[in-house]
Amino acid sequence: MSLPSSAPEETRHRPGAGFWISAVVGWAVIGYGLRGLFQHHVDTRPANLAKFFIGGALLHDLIVAPLLLVVGVLVSRATPERVRGVVQAALIISGSLMLFSYPLVRGYAHALHNPTSLPHNYAANLAIAVGVVWGLAGLVIVVRALRRAH
Amino acid sequence: MRRFTTDADAPLRQGPYQSPLRDERLAAILGASLGVLFIILFVTGLYSHLHQHPVSWLPVPSRPVGLFRVTQGVHVAAGIASIPVLLIKLWVVWPRFVSIPPVKRVSHFVERVGLFPLVAGAIFMVFSGIANIAQWYPWRFAFPAAHFWVAWVTMGALVAHLGAKWYITRRALRRPSRRPALSAADPALGTLAETAHPGLSRRGLLATTAAAAGALTVVTVGQTFEPLRRLAILAPRDPKVGPRGRPVNRSAANAGVLSSATSAGYRFKVEGRVARPLSFTLPELRALAAHQANLPIACVEGWSFSAPWSGVRVRDLLDMAGAAPGATAHVQSLEANSPYTFSYLDDDQAHDRDTLLATHLDGQPLSLDHGYPLRLIGPGRPGVNQTKWVTRLVVR
Repeated sequence: MSLPSSAPEETRHRPGAGFWISAVVGWAVIGYGLRGLFQHHVDTRPANLAKFFIGGALLHDLIVAPLLLVVGVLVSRATPERVRGVVQAALIISGSLMLFSYPLVRGYAHALHNPTSLPHNYAANLAIAVGVVWGLAGLVIVVRALRRAH
Repeated sequence: MRRFTTDADAPLRQGPYQSPLRDERLAAILGASLGVLFIILFVTGLYSHLHQHPVSWLPVPSRPVGLFRVTQGVHVAAGIASIPVLLIKLWVVWPRFVSIPPVKRVSHFVERVGLFPLVAGAIFMVFSGIANIAQWYPWRFAFPAAHFWVAWVTMGALVAHLGAKWYITRRALRRPSRRPALSAADPALGTLAETAHPGLSRRGLLATTAAAAGALTVVTVGQTFEPLRRLAILAPRDPKVGPRGRPVNRSAANAGVLSSATSAGYRFKVEGRVARPLSFTLPELRALAAHQANLPIACVEGWSFSAPWSGVRVRDLLDMAGAAPGATAHVQSLEANSPYTFSYLDDDQAHDRDTLLATHLDGQPLSLDHGYPLRLIGPGRPGVNQTKWVTRLVVR
């Protein structure tokens, strides 16, 4: 049982003492972190760090999230209802694997000439991992179809 | 108590963008999971920080010997596993970033302003951690300092967010049977929400998120958990690949010690607050009473291995030099002008029976990349503190 997101939310309490106490404590901790960032500016390079801090959130909210939205709509249009859930699951799992492996496949660490970094062929191994995910997804689809046939 | 409804008219929650999965129960379950992961990450991260920036009022224990290996292995594994949890959580709540009107009350404003450090911080922490274990440095800041201070910003924002979402999360986490059926209150809405829809169900999406986290764990955790080594096909290190079958974080070439470590003029000295300063050549060091210990080397980047090391005990050297009981020491590397030139041994660590200045690994002389001619290896320490190419013990 779930609330559709366009429905009015249930009523709730007006923010109480808990809200304000945690807000004050939370912002104090944020302040501590920011003070540390600026005090150690030689190491933290606040201007450069801000690019990644703000850039990461903007990249997600303005590019990645809308893109996923479009992918989601396309998947729901392009897949038959019976296999849609399995395809969505396989996409999410293989997408997570690809995202994590990106710097490994690109091999950035090789610039350090440390022979023990990145000992594998990551493009091939990623293909294996993604292949296993889609293989399992295919198996689930076939097993379900066979069950329905009986 | 005041009754109000929120955001019924937000455009991103309508039409083709609307998924019945974007509900508060899923947001609550994913949020709680992410909260647990972030607390684990914060605590294990602080522990690693404490090792690298020791404070006298909270000494780190040297026993059990594998403690840091476990805490840091958990830190990196939890960080990797949080990728899908964070992304799915953001997917569920993303349409809420558009709120009409943007600000309703002071508390609403405070809550929404706090979302920026929370979301930006969470993305930054996971991204910078993943990039760092892949040794990808697209930035100019020093990773440990940035990762540490942004952790405080993120955790502060998490505390504020917990307070703002406590009530709604608790309500959403309650067993569905104890909540009134929506269809009872509004048949039309209830039917829309409760009818099965094609595609992943809420339970299915949660299971998928767990499976994605599990898959990432299976293909990486073998870099520190040896029984799963063969499955670790996407781990940045293999605990059996490297000079003589053991990985290193920093090579001798990168540290710029190739000539100084192999120089015939190499000496190891014990100096500082000692009655008798000492100086040894490498053959003299190897002639000293050797002690063997099975100790893990656990890199902050999340890989580790355990192996037999042998060499001279630091506490024996302190005794030979006539250091005061309770003496502490700094171990100095040939690697100059690096954050890792010195490593600190507190009283407890300096006098541990297994804290060694090792000359051998796996019964063979150290390779250059493993710290030839002499390296520090002690129980319960992060690899970054196990200084290599040691040339001096400065007693305090």
